[in-house]
Amino acid sequence: MDLAVQIRSGLQRQGLPTPTIEWVQGVLPNRSPMPPLQALIATAKARLMILDITNGSVLDANAPALPPNLSNMEVAETKLGRDVLVQVLDIENLSKSKWEQVEELEAIARGEQTRGREMIRLPTGGEEDDEVGYSTAATQALSSAPGAARGANGASTTPKNSTHRLVLQDCKGQKIYGLELQRIEKIGIGTMNIGEKILLKKGATVARGMILLEPANCTIMGGKVEAWQKSWIDSRLTRLKEAIDNRSRDG
Amino acid sequence: MRILCVAEKPSIAKAVAEHLSGGRSETRNTRNKYIKNYVFDYDFGGQPWGNCSVTMTSVLGHITAVEFPSEYKDWKHPPPERLFDAPVNTVIADDKKDIAQNIEQQARYSQGLCIWTDCDREGEHIGHEIREAARKGNAALTVKRARFSNIERAHILHAARHLIMLDDKQVNAVAARIELDLRIGYALTRFLSNNLKTLGGPLANLVISYGSCQFPTLGFVVDRYFRVKNFKPETFWSIKVKHKKEGIDVNFSWSRNRLFDRASVIVLYERCLAAKTAVVTKVQEKPTKKWKPLPLTTVELQKMATRFLRMTGQQAMTAAESLYNKGFISYPRTETDKFDKGMPLRTLVQKQAQDNRWGTFAQNLVNGGFQQPRDGRHDDKAHPPIHPITYAGPSAALNDFEKKIYEFVVRRFLACCSEDAKGVATDIDILYGEETFHAHGVIVLERNYLEVYVYEKWTGTAELPKFTLGERFEPHEAMMTEGKTAPPSYLTEADLIALMDANGIGTDATMAEHIQKIQDRDYVRTVPRSGRQGGGDDDAENSDEAPAARGGRGGRGSRGGARGRGGRRGGAAPQARGGGGVMEFIPTRLGVALIEGFDRMNFETSLGKPFLRKEMELKMKAICDGHTTKQVVLHESISQYRRVYNQSQENLNVLKAACRQYIFDNAAG
Repeated sequence: MDLAVQIRSGLQRQGLPTPTIEWVQGVLPNRSPMPPLQALIATAKARLMILDITNGSVLDANAPALPPNLSNMEVAETKLGRDVLVQVLDIENLSKSKWEQVEELEAIARGEQTRGREMIRLPTGGEEDDEVGYSTAATQALSSAPGAARGANGASTTPKNSTHRLVLQDCKGQKIYGLELQRIEKIGIGTMNIGEKILLKKGATVARGMILLEPANCTIMGGKVEAWQKSWIDSRLTRLKEAIDNRSRDG
Repeated sequence: MRILCVAEKPSIAKAVAEHLSGGRSETRNTRNKYIKNYVFDYDFGGQPWGNCSVTMTSVLGHITAVEFPSEYKDWKHPPPERLFDAPVNTVIADDKKDIAQNIEQQARYSQGLCIWTDCDREGEHIGHEIREAARKGNAALTVKRARFSNIERAHILHAARHLIMLDDKQVNAVAARIELDLRIGYALTRFLSNNLKTLGGPLANLVISYGSCQFPTLGFVVDRYFRVKNFKPETFWSIKVKHKKEGIDVNFSWSRNRLFDRASVIVLYERCLAAKTAVVTKVQEKPTKKWKPLPLTTVELQKMATRFLRMTGQQAMTAAESLYNKGFISYPRTETDKFDKGMPLRTLVQKQAQDNRWGTFAQNLVNGGFQQPRDGRHDDKAHPPIHPITYAGPSAALNDFEKKIYEFVVRRFLACCSEDAKGVATDIDILYGEETFHAHGVIVLERNYLEVYVYEKWTGTAELPKFTLGERFEPHEAMMTEGKTAPPSYLTEADLIALMDANGIGTDATMAEHIQKIQDRDYVRTVPRSGRQGGGDDDAENSDEAPAARGGRGGRGSRGGARGRGGRRGGAAPQARGGGGVMEFIPTRLGVALIEGFDRMNFETSLGKPFLRKEMELKMKAICDGHTTKQVVLHESISQYRRVYNQSQENLNVLKAACRQYIFDNAAG
């Protein structure tokens, strides 16, 4: 009993919400002597990170949640009143068109990214006759295209000015958008997992129902919910295509 | 002592004879009306030959060809897959018999043979063919080879005194390629034609020619076609900030460029407006350059010609070949994009000073403006970059294409020997709310190489007003804008060449031929770029009454002919490049059906993808480098293609279904 409480407060000290005592006890290994407290806290934390936090048996009933009505689009700006742990349900790269992402996924499905089977495609924007790069680098790329094109092939890194939008969920099951106001390295398709935990800090700005994410107001804690991650990846192509079709019907 | 010299084509034989004899050679006719024998005396300077009596003659490209024995003439029997291991005979082509005979006869009276074919892989193999023909007349000949890359006098005289050996590794690489092209091309052409014939309609009497370079080339065209056709436009939003200062309008662009979500942009935009003022976070003024071009390679020549000179790659190569044969430019098949430090570039520049178009520019270089050209990273160790050798004035006997190519080669060369264009660039960053915006201005100060290299432009923007770091201002205008993504455009020939180059299809010297071939086969058509709208016009493009001509020559490189005298512009002239602009490549229904069919049946190693051919090209190179042998490569590549052949046979219905779908509009398959 005493040990479970110690672990609980250890987690609290890291800014995490309080889990139920029952859950902590369930995490304790059936061993004697017990491993040191720090190791137990680390284990409990790791277990917490791979769980669905909306599961009522995990977090204490009064664990911090988002204020109700936070996703109200009428409110131009408000601040988060306390630290809240959320989990990632979806991630979208708003800097890339959905179609571009579809083409990338389909190229991977055709095996074009496999070693020895690479298809090198060249930028399609078109080196139009009168298009002139202004910076030295751009100018150079124009005059030695093949070399530069090869470099452009490894597509998986996320460029610096990318902007992502996350769907986040608190322990009560409330959902809210998180918009990347400043680039955060760990946010990216392929680098961030579904079910990954983010600790939103007190004072974070919420504008028209979107939390504006900056390195200073959120801590990416890691973790993932394996089953969510898998189904998110498996259905990504279909979702992208559906979204394109819906949007073009609307617009 | 008598020495027999043999060049790859008559013009080179004539030029070399002229230089070696000092213009005092005796010309004799042979049984071939294009081939002359030039007889003169020349002192090779010892090593191994001294003062000799020389007969200089030539061939017309390849003199031998490979073929299957007559029992394989029938397309159905024995079945096409037998061609993967059927015997292959090397024979002297019918129209080259008199040429081979001339060499054999002359060899009888000679003690030495000196080969003057072009210094590349294909030339090495032609050298080997000449050696074999000569040895029939005299098995005891000493054989040497001259290494040269243009027919300027001093260069030729130097080559004649520094003879080398024929490189059998290169000969073997070409021999392997020729045999593979024959087997694979014949087997698959017969397989495709026999099997698709049964579908009837336009396929009933069609020879469907397969070539291991053509298909991947066609694959690129089809890939792009589908990317255009399948494209879905999407809306994006952005924020633009305008400010007027010192009477100048400054446009700031958003560091996020654009986002594909309206609500997110509205939130960010609203927060900009709420902030009211923007603050300057970066002011930077620094010199900038537009780099002068790299020395000219074959691939680059073709790309530029298709972009700026209104020619096809093949027309450009034919013209360049002819300019080389006439001695105006260096050898036009080269991968090298750096000049050897020892080359007398200033002397070459000086020769251009007499021209009234670029003469003044050239003279200024000679008078002190000369700068060593930039070094690229490619060196084929055989030929320098393409450059002018002698001056060809406006009255030189050149056709229009040759004139344009010559002008391009000269302007490119002078640009290489000039200086980068210089300017000054100003960058200003502002923070407006939480968002960063950027303004960029360039002022061109010195045009330098751009004065002569008219194919590139560099126009500055308006000068930016002065901003100081930390300065606050209220932007005059901030707008949220909306736009739509647009489909990529169809491939141009320059794109296609770049794709072939990047994916290792064909050599720089043969790319243009493959591109021409997929047009001759009616797998693709070219249309002027302007003629396209929304990609819905494919029906008009595909009224497929493809001519059933073209015998089963498979993928055999027709290089000998193409190189012969640059004179194969007979019936196969490409569509004239009308007054319009750039031409775009669009596949025909047949082209789409073939690539889709292969893609659907062989996932890993589709013949429509570049992988197999790329591997083959790498193996050719490995033979040249001594890392593998002809036997090993033949064995490996034949087994690979045989596997694909067997797969294709098993999945024939998939290919047929694709044909029904795309050629007969029958989706049910």
